[in-house]
Amino acid sequence: MDDINLIEFFLSDFINPKKRVFTGYLVLSVVLASLWLLFVKRQSLKSTFKKIFDRKILWSGSAKADYKLFLVNRVFTFFISPLLISQVAISTAIYMFLHSVDAFNQNVFASTPTSIIIALFTITLFVVDDFTKYVVHRWMHKIPLLWAIHKVHHSAKTMTPITVYRVHPLEGVLFSLRSVFAQGLVIPSFLFFFGNAVDLYTIVGVNILVFFFHATGSNLRHSHIDISYWKWLEHILISPSQHQVHHSIAEEHYDKNFGAALAIWDWVFGSLHLSENKGKVFFGLDTYESGKESRIKDLYLEPIYEIAKILKTFCIKLVSLLLNWLSLLRDLFLIQIKKNKS
Amino acid sequence: MIMKKLKVTTAIVAVALSGTMALSDGYGPFPVTLKGYSGDKTNTVSYSGQIARHVLEQSLKKLAGKGNGGGNAADLEAQMLSYFNGSDDDLPIIAPKSKDGFKIKQTSLHQISKGKNISGKFYDGAMPAWPGNMSGKDVAYNMIAMAAKSNKGFDADTGYDWAQLISKYTMGAMAYNQAVDNYLDEKLSAEKKPNNKPYKDGAHYTGKEHSWDEAFGYWGAAAHQHGFNPNKVYEIAKMKNQGAADKNGDGMVDLKSEYVFGPCYYAAAFDRSGTKSTNYTNTLFNAFLDGRKLITAAAGEALSDSERSQLKAYAATIEENWEKVLAEAVFKYAGSVYKDINKMKDLSGDDLNKAYRAYAKHWGELKGFAMAMQSGKSNLGATATKMNELMGFGPVTLNNSYVTGMDSNGNFVMDRKRSWSDYQLHMLKIQQMMVDQFSVKARVNDGLNDLQALTDKLDSASSAETD
Ligand SMILES: [Zn+2]
Ligand SMILES: [Zn+2]
Repeated sequence: MDDINLIEFFLSDFINPKKRVFTGYLVLSVVLASLWLLFVKRQSLKSTFKKIFDRKILWSGSAKADYKLFLVNRVFTFFISPLLISQVAISTAIYMFLHSVDAFNQNVFASTPTSIIIALFTITLFVVDDFTKYVVHRWMHKIPLLWAIHKVHHSAKTMTPITVYRVHPLEGVLFSLRSVFAQGLVIPSFLFFFGNAVDLYTIVGVNILVFFFHATGSNLRHSHIDISYWKWLEHILISPSQHQVHHSIAEEHYDKNFGAALAIWDWVFGSLHLSENKGKVFFGLDTYESGKESRIKDLYLEPIYEIAKILKTFCIKLVSLLLNWLSLLRDLFLIQIKKNKS
Repeated sequence: MIMKKLKVTTAIVAVALSGTMALSDGYGPFPVTLKGYSGDKTNTVSYSGQIARHVLEQSLKKLAGKGNGGGNAADLEAQMLSYFNGSDDDLPIIAPKSKDGFKIKQTSLHQISKGKNISGKFYDGAMPAWPGNMSGKDVAYNMIAMAAKSNKGFDADTGYDWAQLISKYTMGAMAYNQAVDNYLDEKLSAEKKPNNKPYKDGAHYTGKEHSWDEAFGYWGAAAHQHGFNPNKVYEIAKMKNQGAADKNGDGMVDLKSEYVFGPCYYAAAFDRSGTKSTNYTNTLFNAFLDGRKLITAAAGEALSDSERSQLKAYAATIEENWEKVLAEAVFKYAGSVYKDINKMKDLSGDDLNKAYRAYAKHWGELKGFAMAMQSGKSNLGATATKMNELMGFGPVTLNNSYVTGMDSNGNFVMDRKRSWSDYQLHMLKIQQMMVDQFSVKARVNDGLNDLQALTDKLDSASSAETD
């Protein structure tokens, strides 16, 4: 690999409009943040600039760790992603399954106007994708084994758009699988019922809804710019400030706002927390020993140790449970023998 | 200045000419190499017997569609058998026949070759793809009898299109089988048909020269199509381009060397459609040509072991790619059947009957090619069993029943039903099987094409971001 290729390999996400950190979205985020600080927060131009490009945040130990993880994870993804089950394999299996169910009529909605088919597909894909993100994210918090992995993301003490890459490679794997399954379900189902008119409304090659999510500041959710929406809107869309609440160290914010783009899921399943104007929110984990959030080695290995520990405790519990059962069986057996004798 | 321009032009013309020279490197003529030959023949290439058999097959296909529902059954069957078994009389060529803008030189069989038949060169091993546990040849006789009794070659109850079944099956059971299981197999051994002896007493060509030519004849390529674009080869077979076919410019297409027959036609058809990523036509032609050049270069001596192993490598290329062409055909028609079912789902009355007829035609081609694949050199084993199971003995008909066997009187039994979408699933599985087992690449009528395209467009990796 020569130099050019190497740069391309590591920085390709910045020129890919399908990625959140695409340069265009980052620029829009800066614009949005400026407008917010200047006109809503009524700050001066100078302090706006200082706040957005705060050296203490952009070059904190936590942020530097983000940058390193960004690079290292890139290598991990390169080697792991070919091993994962392919989208086509799942889509094909589901497509074939749909044929085998007699109650399902192929092309039953094929006469729907094409523009409606495309709109439906575009929305469904976005909504299903977003919902599975909510579900998996919730599991990441509620299941101890997964929380051990997801902690890496929550250990960030300062947040920048690059914090989106602050994840353990295992979480990357889980989320890739989620995406494969979500799309692998929606694509064949639409093709089967709506026929080959199925397509996607796109801008710069991206699902138009995903584009709007990114163009309206998805990068600011991992930042210290606490843009909030009207209360009614925060029931529908997660504002940057709401995701910052998700990262908050405060106990009343635990396990809130799992949603990615849509807040509806949090609202329906009772995990919604609206943004509040109570001053600065502190990010991170209060159980985390200070400094660990910037040590790469710990960030990669700690989850592995913790998983091992959880599995070990689980095994010990399982064995003792089995032993209990066995002794119970033996007792019953002995009682029976005694009875027979008498 | 003018001189300079002239020079450049001459150079361009010269290059262009040498280019055409290289391209016109066809299959033959090849000189006599037989030691001690004293006759006046100068060209050893000869495969008119194979051309005659292609013509018999095409004529037989035409006849298969001439039944009037039973009235002419006896006569028609006798006529069809005269083409299948051969005849001492000179039979008229029923197909291919001259048409406007495409004049064919020969009009009767004897103008090509005398005493040829299909039946003597027909695969006669087991043919489990057809009901009744018959041998390969008996299946053909059964189809001929059924075709003669039918109405225009079609049986709506079973969904059988006899013309398609007979012609596609014969393309394998005769041409493919003879080439890969006989001429390119046994006859390449050191003992059989050696190169230092005439093919038979009095012949001016050697054993190996003629064996190779016969295999080439079964492939059905035009002798001069070396380096042709597949579209051109296709147009010759479709009788749409007399200019491309008429090599010697006598205003007629000589079936003996200038026309393109079945097997080669399908290769060209796949090269020019689907993913357009294959090159079967030229790969096969070049393997045949290179093999023939090797034999000619041996100058009438017995082939050395190394020469024979090189020749066998060419034969392996031919066999592998020929099999792929047949698998591409199975893939394509499985896709057609899949699409036809979608069409039929929305229709009723006359429109439905019309669509059903087209569906039966495609199914006949599918089945015929599947049977062709099973009449080659290698037993396809589990692949064949699975393919026959998925395809069934007959297509799912309008009332959802399908042929499940044959009773002791030779009548088709249709005692089971299957839903159309279930049958579509079978078609998708057959397509996948062709990809997995034979690595087909042209993939015409790919049932999973839309799925693949949409998946590629979405690129799931891009939505893997977490929060
Ligand atoms: Zn979280
Ligand atoms: Zn986050």
